Amino acid sequence: MEFTSAASVEEATALLVEYGTAAQILAGGTDVMLQQARGEISAGVLIHIGRIPGLVGITGNGSVRIGPLTTHRSLARSRLVLMTAPALAEAAATVGGWQTQAVGTIGGNVCNASPAADTAAPLLVAGASFELTGPRGTRTVVGDSFFIGRRQTARATDEILTAIVLPHHPERTGDAYLKVGRRSAMEVAVVGLAARLTLDVDGTVEGARIAACSVAPTPMRIAEAEEILQGSRMESEAIAAAGEALTRAVSPIDDARATAAYRTRVLPGLLARALGVAAARAERGVG
Amino acid sequence: MTVSVGRSVVRQDADPKVRGQAVFGVDFELSGSLHAVLVRSPIASGRIRSVETSSAAAVPGVRLVATAADAPRILSGLALADQPLFAGDVVRYEGEPIAAVVADTVTIARAAAARVVVDIEPLPVVASLSAAVAPGAPLVHADWSTYRPSPGLPDWPRHDNVVGEMRFDSGGVDDVFSTADVVIEDVYTADRQYQAYLEPKSATAVYEAGRYTIHAAHQYHFNVRDRTAAALGILPSRVRVIGHHMGGGFGAKLDVGLEPYAALLARLAGAPVKMVNDRVEDLLSCNSRENAIIRVRSGVTRNGRILAREFLVDMDAGAYAGDTVFLTSIALFVAEGPYSVDRTRVVARALYTNTAPTGAFRGVSGTYLYFALERHTDNLANALGMDRRDFRIRNAIDAGHTMLNGQVLEDSDLLRAAFDAIDEVAPWETLGRGPNRGVGIAATVWLTNPMPGAVTLRLEPDGSLGVVTGAAEIGTGAVALGVRQVAAEELGIDPDLVVLTMPDTDAHAYDGGAQGSRTTHIVGRAVQHAAAGLRERIFGQAAKLLDSGADELEITDGRVRMVSDPQRTVTLGQVAGAAMFDGGPIISSGSYATPAPKHDPDAATGLLFATFPTPTYHVHVAEVEVDPVTGRVTVLRYLVAQEVGRAINPAGVMGQIQGGVTQGLGYALWETLQIGDDGRYRQRSLEAYKLPIALDVPRVEAILLEHPADAGPYGAKGVAEPPIVPVAAAIANAVADATGGSIVRLPITPDDVLNALESSKE
Repeated sequence: MEFTSAASVEEATALLVEYGTAAQILAGGTDVMLQQARGEISAGVLIHIGRIPGLVGITGNGSVRIGPLTTHRSLARSRLVLMTAPALAEAAATVGGWQTQAVGTIGGNVCNASPAADTAAPLLVAGASFELTGPRGTRTVVGDSFFIGRRQTARATDEILTAIVLPHHPERTGDAYLKVGRRSAMEVAVVGLAARLTLDVDGTVEGARIAACSVAPTPMRIAEAEEILQGSRMESEAIAAAGEALTRAVSPIDDARATAAYRTRVLPGLLARALGVAAARAERGVG
Repeated sequence: MTVSVGRSVVRQDADPKVRGQAVFGVDFELSGSLHAVLVRSPIASGRIRSVETSSAAAVPGVRLVATAADAPRILSGLALADQPLFAGDVVRYEGEPIAAVVADTVTIARAAAARVVVDIEPLPVVASLSAAVAPGAPLVHADWSTYRPSPGLPDWPRHDNVVGEMRFDSGGVDDVFSTADVVIEDVYTADRQYQAYLEPKSATAVYEAGRYTIHAAHQYHFNVRDRTAAALGILPSRVRVIGHHMGGGFGAKLDVGLEPYAALLARLAGAPVKMVNDRVEDLLSCNSRENAIIRVRSGVTRNGRILAREFLVDMDAGAYAGDTVFLTSIALFVAEGPYSVDRTRVVARALYTNTAPTGAFRGVSGTYLYFALERHTDNLANALGMDRRDFRIRNAIDAGHTMLNGQVLEDSDLLRAAFDAIDEVAPWETLGRGPNRGVGIAATVWLTNPMPGAVTLRLEPDGSLGVVTGAAEIGTGAVALGVRQVAAEELGIDPDLVVLTMPDTDAHAYDGGAQGSRTTHIVGRAVQHAAAGLRERIFGQAAKLLDSGADELEITDGRVRMVSDPQRTVTLGQVAGAAMFDGGPIISSGSYATPAPKHDPDAATGLLFATFPTPTYHVHVAEVEVDPVTGRVTVLRYLVAQEVGRAINPAGVMGQIQGGVTQGLGYALWETLQIGDDGRYRQRSLEAYKLPIALDVPRVEAILLEHPADAGPYGAKGVAEPPIVPVAAAIANAVADATGGSIVRLPITPDDVLNALESSKE
């Protein structure tokens, strides 16, 4: 296995073109190095992008632009993220342990596209778009189209993720991310659930977005649940109906972490809890 | 006043361990060392058609590839001689060694091991306890009837897949059941638990002049010597085992691991050979705590007297008897627990399955036996409408209680003090209040292992005291604190002047290993015996220097002085120096083993472990909250009242209690090795195998009950093992209380909690 470090986005994409399917992008390495060690991937060339300038950091002026090399730890502590999308900070703060959070990146988390990727669900409810740069230039993929299959994204093999953009954050909007794991930390999500609500002044739901991870081959939006909540005033019947819709929309599996039945079973209660947090934040105008 | 005992002295080995300077087994390497890895069976049961080693042997840097053909054709084992070094004809569990590759580096050895081609014809898999005793079950060992117990052990009842069976019957049990007002029957199950020590198993061996020297990080060096000798068919005196710092063992490093392989391969290769398990093979092949099924039935009177009890236990020994066959005896001592029962029947079986052999883990068998007993005790109290704590206290054993083996517990009223001590800190009726909250209580009697130990004390001219012993420091502080502080106390010197040795089976007398909380108790007693002789020589020598009678002297603060004239003194160092050419170095040796308590050896059949020496008494209380959405359990408070006799080092004892409870919480709530239908574990890494982390564990509130009796050094009894024993019981009782439902298996999963909540609503 070879290792090479790219100095610019152009150099990185040129290397991706040169090595084709043998190439593997390396950012924080918290997924790639484990997958390589376990033989789950067998990269011919590791292309390190950690030294490319301009890919780190969070900037905002209306919309929020997140560099793909921004670490989970930075996301979890970012004032801008905590003000506009606290669910994303909450998700980042639950990835692995502190060591993983200190080197693992949001770009790596979404491009690895694990069904359990913590940051994916809050990005989906935030309406994030993904900026991909390759030899043919730069294009933008809207959140829902980015995750296309188990460990598959819309990124072409010669493209790199150069930014994640969260659109302008409306008034009276709040979100939340709840993660179910066996322990209090150091867990891969058994279920992860993000909710975002925009409330009218009288408490009517103007906008509702629900997304979940570890319940299907990809992190996913749950449109059926969103439609039920839309226009409701968060009556318990509406929340229960949304919970039912949520359980119908998912297709979880049995694995060593939990059974499919357990994953389905916790969803309605988890949704009600997440909606409660999101609504409270919407009322306070935070998140 | 003591100078050392009862003080939280700091460990001498803490600093080098924190700094990474301490040399552990995995760090130790002899110059010119080769590296070996094992080729292990990928399936749980099969007949070996062929083992093709030539392409592995051809890899540059490979020195040799060994198989069963290169090893002595010998079966051996801790209790029963049923296990070969390498599988030759059949494989009986996933991970069973089939071959070994010795190479210049670990990387080469691993790469070459992957090129050993093993052709195995799959055979039916006995993957569960029920499958092992099903009619027509395949035999894990077709030749079981030809096996013989290890030297020194009488044979015991066993047949087919039943590798051990212990039976006790007090008689008249069924008659008494028929007179009971209420009869309750429960069935409980518990999964396996991996010891999950920080340092994986390792061994380095060299063969020289007809003898093997093994460098080990082990709990029980003399057992490594004896078991390696048995596996290789040689005398124990041809094996020398040298100990190094070890990163935990928790029972998994009492039997041999890689040591006999390293020894054999070192001889075959003509060079030192080092072996270290990687974490996955360590987890898959470890002698974990056995899974079990426990059936408990009791008949009680309306006013709460326990008339009759039936206690039926099946334990999974795995593919070889290991030490699990001994553990059937533990059921005899837990069947009644610390409560009075009129008539009892106990049957405990160890069963062969096509799974990794199980073995000792802190609190052997007691964790799940007490889980079953104490869950059942809650059910009895609830069925009678009695308070669960009151029911226990009403039935608690009193002083002079006779156990089922005929052994009398003289001090068993200490248990009542433990109930009271917790109630003073956290009154029972104030705990577990509020929605989704619950409280659990469990009581335990546990033993201190009686195995022998020995020590030689050396007084040096610089005033230091050498403590020469084969006792192993497993990390608990049993040697680093317990033995050291007892030795310092005996001579009235600063504990920092005590110099401890590392175990060496050539240099030291026999030691029974770091097991069953024995080391401080047993070796501490040996130190006291040795110190008596040492003082005699010191006084004799000092009397000459001080021109006094030996009986006119006392030792204080590192000096010998005249009782009548305290200004006339001489230092201990001066005494040692003077003795050097007047009688020779001042040394003295002492030995100790706990005498077997009086008991009836014929009380039960198949009883390999007949007594429960130096008992201690324990009550644990847990307060929990369950999450009605996720089923997660949060432990809000955890209280321990533990009879310790005397805390030689209170901080060390508190550390053992916090650690034991933490390990017990892991067992109760997270840790499991589930066995698939193919006999393979479902949890195959420390990512899937959930150990508790700091955020999940409360600060344990421990109350040390001290009743210094004459049993231990300054009264000290075993302290390290008991704190894990009642934890699963207390937690399960608290979760059952919080949910209003039934908890019947370990670990308690979120699904179990949600099911319990739902069943209580119906």
